[in-house]
Amino acid sequence: MQRMADLNVAETPAATCAVSLRVDALSHAYAGHDVTTPALADISFEVGSGRFVVIVGPSGCGKSSLLLMMAGLRRPTAGRILCAGRPIETPDPDRIGVVFQEASLFPWLTAAENVAFPLALRHTSRAARRIRALEMLKLVGLDGFGERRPHELSGGMKQRVAIARGLVQDPPVLLMDEPFAALDEQTRMTMGDELLRIWSQTRKTVIFVTHSLTEAVYLADEVLVMSARPGRIIDRIPVDLPRPRTYEMLGGAGFAALRDRIWQQIRTP
Amino acid sequence: MSPRAIRWLIVAAILVLWEVLPRIGAVPMLFLPPLSTTLAAAAQDWQAYASALLITLGEVALGLVIACGGGILAGAIVGAVPFLRRLLLPVFSSLYAIPLVILYPALTAWFGIGPESKVAFAGVYGFFPTLLGTAAGIRTIDPQLLLAARSMGATLPQLITRVILPASIPTVLAGLRMGGALVIVGVVVSEMLISTAGIGYMISFYRTVLDSPHVFAAILLVLALTLMFDALTRALERGCASWRQTA
Repeated sequence: MQRMADLNVAETPAATCAVSLRVDALSHAYAGHDVTTPALADISFEVGSGRFVVIVGPSGCGKSSLLLMMAGLRRPTAGRILCAGRPIETPDPDRIGVVFQEASLFPWLTAAENVAFPLALRHTSRAARRIRALEMLKLVGLDGFGERRPHELSGGMKQRVAIARGLVQDPPVLLMDEPFAALDEQTRMTMGDELLRIWSQTRKTVIFVTHSLTEAVYLADEVLVMSARPGRIIDRIPVDLPRPRTYEMLGGAGFAALRDRIWQQIRTP
Repeated sequence: MSPRAIRWLIVAAILVLWEVLPRIGAVPMLFLPPLSTTLAAAAQDWQAYASALLITLGEVALGLVIACGGGILAGAIVGAVPFLRRLLLPVFSSLYAIPLVILYPALTAWFGIGPESKVAFAGVYGFFPTLLGTAAGIRTIDPQLLLAARSMGATLPQLITRVILPASIPTVLAGLRMGGALVIVGVVVSEMLISTAGIGYMISFYRTVLDSPHVFAAILLVLALTLMFDALTRALERGCASWRQTA
């Protein structure tokens, strides 16, 4: 744990101010046979460059939907998303990397080939792909695991590979959709620390969706709280706990107060 | 003793019994000629058997193209397009129980009693189960993999060649295995019914003249053909399925 705490260096939110991603008056509705079901209502927020923002909300509030839209995988009914000043309309792995709840690794490829997959789509040379993939695996703590197949890796290791793959094209923004939800609690804690280490080493903007309030407060610079469907942003809570975050903070009064504030918002719609 | 050793022991026991039971008179020679007599019959007429086997193999090969090629392709399309799936799958599933062999007289009328009608029958016989198996298998491709690939900027052709095709390999192999087995059944059965050549024809012909050793020699040959096909598909599956534990 000492090693992680050392690497998990302090990040001062005020020092970074450039806007990395902006969501502008975004709404979404599902068209049914005769009724349209509103899913997201008038969502606007911006995320500063290098910030770690967590989105929480009750199940079915549309937070995963919102993330798919930020990834360019789903078109909103209204509004727009800007990343690095340009609109996001289709997936663009140069600007945005995505990590999903299930690691979604291709079972017929090795760990290194999975990490290099986005580069293979761009016809990067085999040698360059391999060097980059091994570099990324080292970053996520999987040095020497390049030749393993996904079924030979644990749940936590698979998510590390997925993170390496999300970062392989060095995008400024990493979107994460409940990436640790399927992991057991101990692995989940370790992965949280690992993610903070990777984040502080790479200085990415991270937008992280979760339904775990503890995870939200532990990781975030800022927590966006969404209401039940139709999802709206009902609160923005800056997390002023010092970094590096440690396990001991989980029991502290400051941590409990933040967690409680989010819970009150989600509980009373 | 390992299950494998026991299996071989059972096979050996059957072969020994095959030789001994007719010899000691426990089974009439007409019903079951001894193994050695059967093999002698095969050796004596090996040229006839070889040419019959070649004809059967040719029919099986063409039947495979129709059943597996057509069945896997059609199954992939039907499985991937929701409208086609809802339109066709209930029909195919209901027709599953039809003994397709009732079609064979019509096929001989259309294609004659030569190899064409055998290929047609075996092709049809293997086509529908292969189609159904492939249509079901193609739907087991994890949609999350497609979503992940799209998030990495994969185009539609890249999705097909780099995700859908590799993810379909187990399904295609299963289709090949099932379709191939049915094609062998279809060819041999149709040769036994109305025919002038092939292994199935030899079984029918020697049966009518009560030449048991030659009948059993032909049966052994069909058995060998089936085992060969099975070994071939198994080898194929081993070759490209090292990752299947997770699928």
